[in-house]
Amino acid sequence: MNKLFYPKLAAINIKKNSKTYLPFIITCICTISMFYIMHEISINKGLDGVSGSESLKVILNLGSKVIGIFSAIFLFYTNSFLIKRRKKEIGLYNVLGLEKKHISKILFFEFLYTSIFSLLVGLIAGVILDKLMFLLLLKLLKFKVAFGFTISVPSIIITLLLFTGIFISTLLSNLVQIKVLNPIELLRGSEHGEKEPKTKWIMTVIGLIALGTGYGLALKIEAPLAALQMFFVAVILVMVGTYALFTAGSIAMLKTLRKNKNFYYKTSNFISVSGMMYRMKQNAIGLANICILSTCVLVMISTTVSLYVGMEDVLRTRFPRDIILTAAQATKEEAEKIDEILVRESKDNNIDTTGKFNYFNKYFAAINNDGKLDLINKDSLSSDVTLLQFVSIADYNRLEGENITLKDNEAVVYSNVKNFDKNNLTIENKIFNIKESFNKPIEALKINMNDVINTYVVFVNDINILEANGDGAYYVAFDVSGSDENIGILSNKLNEKFKENNLQVHVDSSAGSKESFYSLYGGLFFIGIFLGALFLMATVLIIYYKQISEGYDDKNRFEIMQKVGMSKIEIKKTIRSQVLMVFFLPLVTAVIHVGFAFPMITKLLAVLNLRNVSLFMVSTIITILVFAAIYGIVFSLTAKAYYKIVE
Amino acid sequence: MKLLEVNNLKKIYTTRFGGNQVQALSNVTFSVEEGEYVAIMGESGSGKTTLLNILASLDKPTSGEILLQGKNVVSIKESEIVAFRRENLGFVFQDFNLLDTFSLKDNIFLPLVLSRKSYDEMEKRLTPIATKLGIKDILNKFPYEVSGGQKQRAAVARALITNPQLILADEPTGALDSKATDHLLKLFSDINKEGQTILMVTHSTKAASHAGRVLFIKDGEVFHQLYKGSISNEEMFEKISNTLTVIATGGVVNE
Repeated sequence: MNKLFYPKLAAINIKKNSKTYLPFIITCICTISMFYIMHEISINKGLDGVSGSESLKVILNLGSKVIGIFSAIFLFYTNSFLIKRRKKEIGLYNVLGLEKKHISKILFFEFLYTSIFSLLVGLIAGVILDKLMFLLLLKLLKFKVAFGFTISVPSIIITLLLFTGIFISTLLSNLVQIKVLNPIELLRGSEHGEKEPKTKWIMTVIGLIALGTGYGLALKIEAPLAALQMFFVAVILVMVGTYALFTAGSIAMLKTLRKNKNFYYKTSNFISVSGMMYRMKQNAIGLANICILSTCVLVMISTTVSLYVGMEDVLRTRFPRDIILTAAQATKEEAEKIDEILVRESKDNNIDTTGKFNYFNKYFAAINNDGKLDLINKDSLSSDVTLLQFVSIADYNRLEGENITLKDNEAVVYSNVKNFDKNNLTIENKIFNIKESFNKPIEALKINMNDVINTYVVFVNDINILEANGDGAYYVAFDVSGSDENIGILSNKLNEKFKENNLQVHVDSSAGSKESFYSLYGGLFFIGIFLGALFLMATVLIIYYKQISEGYDDKNRFEIMQKVGMSKIEIKKTIRSQVLMVFFLPLVTAVIHVGFAFPMITKLLAVLNLRNVSLFMVSTIITILVFAAIYGIVFSLTAKAYYKIVE
Repeated sequence: MKLLEVNNLKKIYTTRFGGNQVQALSNVTFSVEEGEYVAIMGESGSGKTTLLNILASLDKPTSGEILLQGKNVVSIKESEIVAFRRENLGFVFQDFNLLDTFSLKDNIFLPLVLSRKSYDEMEKRLTPIATKLGIKDILNKFPYEVSGGQKQRAAVARALITNPQLILADEPTGALDSKATDHLLKLFSDINKEGQTILMVTHSTKAASHAGRVLFIKDGEVFHQLYKGSISNEEMFEKISNTLTVIATGGVVNE
C-alpha cells in the first residue's frame, strides 16, 4: 500500500467531518492562545513595577491554572462528542477491511494534523494577542504602559507540554475505545441509548435537598464573614443540586406528568412530554454543564465589574480622609507630640490640612451570651465575635458639637447589630443604661469601622471603665488640600518625623492604597473577563454540538410522525418548542442561581468594602442581559444548523 | 359498493436539472370494493410504491383521479389532507415506523391523540383490538423490547384504531421472519373477514396469495389481475407464481 495512504485518508476525513471538526479545532486554538497569554502575563517582568504585584501575580497564576484545568476537561468533552459521532464511519472502515491497527493509524494522523495545526496557530495567535491583552491589563491597573514586544519561551514550552499532553491523552482514550469495540457495535455506535430513562427518586430528593440547602444558606446568612466561610459550601450544594435535578429531577417530573392521563394524552403534551424525556436523558449532563458555566460567567463578570467600577466608593469607605494616622497604645503625651509634628510638617511643607478629627479609643473582643457581652481573647477570630469600642463622651461632644453629660453607669451607644437592645448594655458584669443610641456611625468612627464585624461603640465618661486590659489607639485623620501628590509628600514626611521621634505611628493614605487597589481589582477584573470569555466559548460550543446531535436523532422521529398523520407545521411547532425549552432551561436556571446568590455575594463584596448594592445590582442585570443576548444569538445560529439537518 | 376508484392515474417525475422525464405510472385504473382484500404485485421499479404514495395522499399524481367513497382525494386542500389521511386511512409499513420514545400503547394511541380524542375513548377502542392482535400483555413495553412480529402487530393496531375506511400496507411482511409472516397474514385475513378493506403492496407471493384479488403492475400499468375465488392459499400461490413467471419472461398470458 502506498505510504501516503493513511496521511491522505486522515486529511480527507478531517475535511469531510468539518462540521464537527472545525469547532473543535477553533476551541483548541482559543484555549491554547488563552492559556499562553494568561501564563505569559503572570510571569511578565513588566508587572514588577506595579504596587501589589505579588498578589496580582498570584491571581494571574491561579487564573492560568484554572484555564489549564478547564481546557483539559473541555477538550476531553468535545473529543468524546467527536468520536461518538464518528463511530459509524470507523465501523464501516473496519467492515470494509481496514484492521484496527490501520484505523488507529488514521486516527493518529488526524490527531497529528489537528494538534500541530492548533498548537501552531494557537501559539501564534497567543503571541500576537498577548501584547494587546497585556496593554489592556495595564490599562485596567491604571499603570503606565511599557513598550516592547515579548515572546516568553518558558510560557511557550509550558503551553506546548500541557496541550500536547491533553491531545495525546484524548488520542489514547480514542484508541482504547476503538480497540474494545467490535465492528457491529462501531456501526451502531451513535444509535445507542434509546432506552427509556429510569426514574431516580433518591437522586431527585438529594438534588432538591442540596439545592434547597444551598439556596437557604445563600439567603439566610447575615454575617459577611460567615458568608465567606459558607460560600463554597453553598456553591457545591447548588452544583450538586443542579446536576441531580437536571439528570434525575427532570425525568421524575416528566414521568409524573405522564402518569396524569388527562394531561398526557393531549396532542401537544403527548409529543413534548415523551420527546423531552429523551432529550433530557441524552442532554442532562451537557445542559447542567451549560447551566453551571453560565452561572460562573454571570457571577464572575458582575462581581469583578462591580469591584472595579466601585473602587472609588471602596476607597472612600476605607478612607473618609486622605491621610489617617494610627498610633497604637499611644499615651496622652505621645498624642500631643503627634499633633505637634503634624501641625509643624503641614506648615513647613506648605500643605494645608482640612477636616481634621482625632480621638482615643479602647477596644475589646467580646462574644454575645444571651444579650450579655463577655470579653474574650481577641486572637480568636470567629464569625460571631463582637467588637467593643470605648470612646470618651468628651471626644464625642467635641467631634459632634454636642453637649451630653453622662453618669458613670450611663452610655451613648452606636451599633451595626440589627435591633440591638436600646435600653441596657451588659458587658461582663457591668450594666450600662443607654441614654442615647443611633444606627449610623458618626463620621469620625468610619475610619475603623466596617460592616463585616458586629460592633458596639460605647461612649462613656472613662474609657478605662473596664478592669480588663484592652488595646487602645489614638487616631488622627484629615484631608490634604491641593493635588494628590501632596498626600504622598506629606505622608512621607510624617513617616520620617515619627520615626525620628521614636513614635509608633502608622500612616495610611488613600493615594497609596489606590494603586494596590487598582492592581488587585484590576487583576480580578481582567481574570473575570478572560475566564468569562472562556466559559462563554465553552457554552457556545456545547450548544452547537448538542444541536447537531439532536438534529441527527430527530430526523427519524420527524419522518415517522409525518407518516402517521402529523402535519409539517405541527411537527415544526412541537420541535421548536422542545428545542427552545431544552436550551433555555440552563439559562433560566442560571439566572435563578444568580438571583439566590445575590444576597450572599453582596455580603462577600461588603467584606471587600464594596457596599454599593445598587451598583452590583445594575452590573448583574446588565451582565445577565448581555449574556442572554449572546446566548440567544448563538442559539438562533445553531438552530439553523439543526433545521438544516432535520429537513 | 365501490370504496376506492382509481381512474387513469399518471405520474411523471421530472429530474431537477434538465428535462429528463421518468414515467412512473402511465395509466393506472382499478377499483376496490368495500370489504375487499387486494394485493398489488410488481417488480422493483414497476411503480408500486409511487402508486401507494399517491393513494396515501403523500404524493400528487400528474393526472387522473382517486375517489374514496366518491370523494376525490386529489382535490383535497393541502391543509385538510393531514386530517383526511388520519381519519380515513390506516398505514402499515415494512419497517414498522414505531417511535422509540413511546411505549407500544402510546404508539397505538398516537393518531387518536392527534385527533384529540379523550383518554377513555382511546382505552375503549384499544381493548378489543389489542386482544384480537394478541399484544395485550406487551402494551407497556417499548419497541426496542419486543420482536419484529410484535412490533408489526402494534403497527397494525395503530392503523386499525382510527376505524379507517381503508388500510394501506406497504410490504408489511418485508422485515419479518416466516413465523411472524404467517401470523401477520392470518391476522390480515381475519381482519378482512370482519369487513376491513385492505390494500397491500407486496413483493411476496406468499403474502399476495392470502389476498382476495391480486393486481399485477408492470411498467406503470395494471398488467393483469387474478381473483382468488374459493381456491386455497396454496393453489393461489401457484397461480401467482405462474403469472409472475410469465410477466418476467415476457410471454403472453394464457388465461
